[in-house]
Amino acid sequence: MLKKKLKFGFPLGAWQEDSLQLFKAAGYDIHFDEKFQKIEIDDPEIKCILTRPVAMASFVEKGFLDAGISTEASVFEAGAKVKVICNLEFLKPVPSKTKIVVAVPKNSKIRSIKDLSQKKIITRVPNIAKKFLEKSKISAEIIYSDALLNEPLAGVVCDALIEFARTEDYLKAYNLKVLETLLESSVILIANEDSLKNRWEREKIEGLGYLLKGARLAQEYSGLMLHASNEMMEEVLKTLPSLKKPTVTQLRGENWFDVLTVANKKEIRKIIPQLKKIGCTDIVEFPLNKVVI
Amino acid sequence: MTENKLKLGIPKGSLQEYTLKIFKSAGFDIDIPERGYFFKIDDPEIECFLLRPQEIPKYIEKGKLDLGISGDDWILESKAKIVDEASASSPPFANARVIEVCDLKYAKKEIKKVKWVLAVPQSSKIKSVKDLEGKTISTEAVNLVKDYLKKNKVKARVEFSWGTTEVKPPRFADAICDITETGASLKAHNLKVIDTILTSSTKLIANKFAWQDKWKKEKIKDLALLLQGAVKGEEVVNLMMHIPGGKLNRILKILPKLKTPTIKKIAGENWYDVTIGCKEKDTRELIPKLKRMGAQGIVEWPVMKIVP
Repeated sequence: MLKKKLKFGFPLGAWQEDSLQLFKAAGYDIHFDEKFQKIEIDDPEIKCILTRPVAMASFVEKGFLDAGISTEASVFEAGAKVKVICNLEFLKPVPSKTKIVVAVPKNSKIRSIKDLSQKKIITRVPNIAKKFLEKSKISAEIIYSDALLNEPLAGVVCDALIEFARTEDYLKAYNLKVLETLLESSVILIANEDSLKNRWEREKIEGLGYLLKGARLAQEYSGLMLHASNEMMEEVLKTLPSLKKPTVTQLRGENWFDVLTVANKKEIRKIIPQLKKIGCTDIVEFPLNKVVI
Repeated sequence: MTENKLKLGIPKGSLQEYTLKIFKSAGFDIDIPERGYFFKIDDPEIECFLLRPQEIPKYIEKGKLDLGISGDDWILESKAKIVDEASASSPPFANARVIEVCDLKYAKKEIKKVKWVLAVPQSSKIKSVKDLEGKTISTEAVNLVKDYLKKNKVKARVEFSWGTTEVKPPRFADAICDITETGASLKAHNLKVIDTILTSSTKLIANKFAWQDKWKKEKIKDLALLLQGAVKGEEVVNLMMHIPGGKLNRILKILPKLKTPTIKKIAGENWYDVTIGCKEKDTRELIPKLKRMGAQGIVEWPVMKIVP
């Protein structure tokens, strides 16, 4: 019998390292062999194939791959019909989101997108750029680049660029200003529609989704444990967030309770001082591996 | 008064990161200065030395170190006379100078299991160990290979290799014995594996005289307990979930039996809070299954130590 194996696309490039870390957090022993450009994973049912997210979206659509980690922008760029299993956002809690923007050099005479008419625009995502220009009723020349874009290109080779912006600093460092944001793009787990019709493959892909999303959420959540007396309980329960119902256990032979819950780390920053004011004792916050709601 | 201080050898190189990690989980903080090899540990009764794992068994045998961490490979290679902790006091082992206190095998790192393999060029006529008669083998672990040949009754020349061992066949040697993790590097050098000589594990080893000293023995045993607990803890996680009353029995049946689950009823509702311990690797199958069976709010958190 042929051994069942999921063909899984692993994102080459910007999201590669963070994806590896997320798999590790989800409990996989996975590593990237730099010399041979190969991903090794300790699950004999998964075969990882390293590929660029845009190409991956097409491969998943066509069924060459069963599933993979890609991005919303890549799926859009490839025009691929795939099923989104879960949104992993940015693979870790980051303050700013990845956007695709139109940018021009700071000293450029181009002030608004209307000024882009008849200009040259360089981009790594020509289909997204084309759709954007069509929608804005602007005709301009689109030049494709397969590498990272920067300021020396804009101004020399072309007048503007349509490029990913993971941070504002990056644009600032290259003396670029943003004219408009085209879209925001999350990292997503995608799957082939036919693969999902096969029970084994569907369960394997969904399972991976639970684990990866669970590991992703655990980066933002913590466990919280505390002791509260009977009189405090009502106020304590009001203070605690409602993501997960707290588990309350009476302490042996006392009028006190042990309360256990899970909450967003940012909320916990606010909750702990409040709980202390109520009179709770023995407040312990502990890290989590996975949160599957 | 003799100073109550344990001299501990920490292996530099591939075992270093893992060793520091389990010490940390065991509750010890080790401070690594940017330069130099003098580690500081937050236990005034321990003094740390960063040394190559090849040399740690030798220094333990000589009594320069009381305790250390090394691999089976380098313990065998050093030819240190070793005995396990249980038989340490029986007479036949009177000449053994090194006590194997416990195994610190790291079960999670499956891919990176250290294997010593015998390899020859793809096109070589050497098919098995028997064909090595009269040939030259290049290796960093000369004694390991000599013992292996002796066991197989084969006579061959074993040459010490200072490194880049994969490059040596066929010009500089007929075969090599080297460490491999994935086999990728061997393949890239057109080599094929003909035998595995040793699969190496990590060991905590002690000097015999340290073991005979009451204070040191206690200290070593306590440390071993914590380190083993940390190693076990690496593999295990806690899972907490909410289960509706109607599904409780069905779900309880599929839970792993590592430890009896703690079940609490949620006040005023027909829901239960169930907490279990399970192997981290099992969560891959278990979490999706629990989710499909109707468990909610599944939360997993790490375990630092497990002391049975």
